[in-house]
Amino acid sequence: MSNGTAESPFSPSAEKSEISSNNPSAFLSQITGAKVAVKLNSGVEYRGDLQCVDGYMNIALEQTEEYVDGVLKNQYGDVFIRGNNGMLVFCFRFVRKFGRYRRIMILNFLG
Amino acid sequence: MADTGADQLDDTIVSEPLDLVRLSLNERVFVKLKGDREIRGRLHAYDSHCNLVLSDVEETVYIMDDEDEDLKTIQKQSEMLFVRGDAVVLISPPTQS
Repeated sequence: MSNGTAESPFSPSAEKSEISSNNPSAFLSQITGAKVAVKLNSGVEYRGDLQCVDGYMNIALEQTEEYVDGVLKNQYGDVFIRGNNGMLVFCFRFVRKFGRYRRIMILNFLG
Repeated sequence: MADTGADQLDDTIVSEPLDLVRLSLNERVFVKLKGDREIRGRLHAYDSHCNLVLSDVEETVYIMDDEDEDLKTIQKQSEMLFVRGDAVVLISPPTQS
């Protein structure tokens, strides 16, 4: 465990053990079930459990909370978020690792 | 014991995001659109572009007045509505209890 803290979480060896693919959408498929936050171009953020992702980066979330300017505005059971269409999607995954939360950010520059 | 739960949900399983929309066919859905518009209506059809056909639609348009800083809403009713997919931001099925 102690040698785990020494290396960067983004070093190739750490990535190999944890993230076997180097393809962003395959990575997102691997973390289904994880708590994610999806931030849209408009600034609205959706936090929930990732159900699935497809090639357009359409995203299905469960137990979703909608935040506008950091304020909880709405709650939905399930949500389908349209992925393409020029909007910028940030996904954050919070991973409990080495006793702290690590944040992985994926940028989607479509359109 | 592991295999009992997995198979029986075959047609309700969500393996791709559009499955969520498929499961909402003929149900009332909430749709968020670009331009601060929200609609609620019964979903009749959809495609991969998120083009939608809805009936008994209530549309709400939010208009922020910069001078007065108050939020105005405009309500519209439509019997039948076609929504072009590129305006769609979000589709939420009715909450299953």
